[in-house]
Amino acid sequence: MKHLDQEEESGVYQRAVLKNASPYHYMKVRLVLEDETSRLSAVELKQFILTGLKTLHGEVGAAINFDLLKYDEDTLTALLRVYSSGLVKLWSSLTLLGSYQNQDCAFRVHQVSPFLLALTGNSRDLQLD
Amino acid sequence: MPFSSSHVFPWPPSSSMAVFMDLNIRVDPDKSKLQRLIDTAAHLGFSTVALNYVFEPSTKKKQEIPVPTPISELIGELPVVQGRSRPIRVLNRLTVVTSDASHFRPNAAEYRRFDLLAVEPTTEKLFHAACMSYDVDIVCISVTEKLPFFFKRAPINGAVDRGVLFELSYAAAIRDSTRRRYTIANAVCLMETCKGKNVILSSAAEKALELRGPYDIINLGSLFGLSDENSKAAVSSSCRSVLLHAETRKTASGIISTSRTDQQEALQDQTDPGDEPSAKRPKHS
Repeated sequence: MKHLDQEEESGVYQRAVLKNASPYHYMKVRLVLEDETSRLSAVELKQFILTGLKTLHGEVGAAINFDLLKYDEDTLTALLRVYSSGLVKLWSSLTLLGSYQNQDCAFRVHQVSPFLLALTGNSRDLQLD
Repeated sequence: MPFSSSHVFPWPPSSSMAVFMDLNIRVDPDKSKLQRLIDTAAHLGFSTVALNYVFEPSTKKKQEIPVPTPISELIGELPVVQGRSRPIRVLNRLTVVTSDASHFRPNAAEYRRFDLLAVEPTTEKLFHAACMSYDVDIVCISVTEKLPFFFKRAPINGAVDRGVLFELSYAAAIRDSTRRRYTIANAVCLMETCKGKNVILSSAAEKALELRGPYDIINLGSLFGLSDENSKAAVSSSCRSVLLHAETRKTASGIISTSRTDQQEALQDQTDPGDEPSAKRPKHS
């Protein structure tokens, strides 16, 4: 899967060629709650997403492996990693999650990419002069 | 001069040009709530939204068809659509819920005040009539109850030929799990017959937190049995064809349209026909 360019002597750059479809997809999501002051811990967030997966897709859905790579408690922004095969199921369960502890909520999916590097910036937020 | 093929615009325009639309946002008398809904829709990337007035006639007492409030009165400043530096377009839409044939009155003048006209039939007979003969743009599929009838191929094909689209809304699926089951079941039932063509997905949202982004909805479409391509069309190009169909409803098949001109101008034209070529003059015979 990975092919390192040996000809480059300096070794500063390396070229990675992805021949197969990438195994993971990365999602940058933000949880919007009705009461904007309430906060969740990372564990609570993952548990919440897992409940959503289980209600929509059942035990098969709950068996999908996904990881919470990074989580910012202040902005409720999370970075998820999921196997590409489980992306559609995870995403649809995030879409249909509508309430957290009896208050309305919504997941805003900002970016989805097979490359983690792509999530460092968002071309839609650029200010063009 | 040789005709250069590179200057010919492809037709139909490629799907990447299409903008996202949400043709069902429940109108709310609370203006600040409505403003928040429109702001959220613009922020999520919807270029056009339609405010939906629901009219449910009952047999007992006579009800008035709602009159749309002008958009300028409802919303202060139209928010700019994310990524497009253009204000959002807001339309009016009427949905008539029919349980009896007399509920939908064709050619009613009240219907003309709305940009879009939709009908939600509750019986098989009315569904057939809505698909085959009613002059509407959208046929809504109920998502709050188990479907009381099967979708037959004849009315669905008739609707596809006439350019009438079927609408599925997803807000009920977010609200509770029973309706989620009905939404998915009815959607899959529809897709079996219409093969994913002529379907639009809309929100029917009453609160800003019930709106979802266009790409979320495209992904959700796969749950309803739509292919990726049809799923994207359901929030973009199919919605555009609804708007175009609405245009043809107002005009004579989209070929001739009439519009009211200024009274003064019209009078002048009548008194001074001298400059016109004789072919354009009305014949007095």
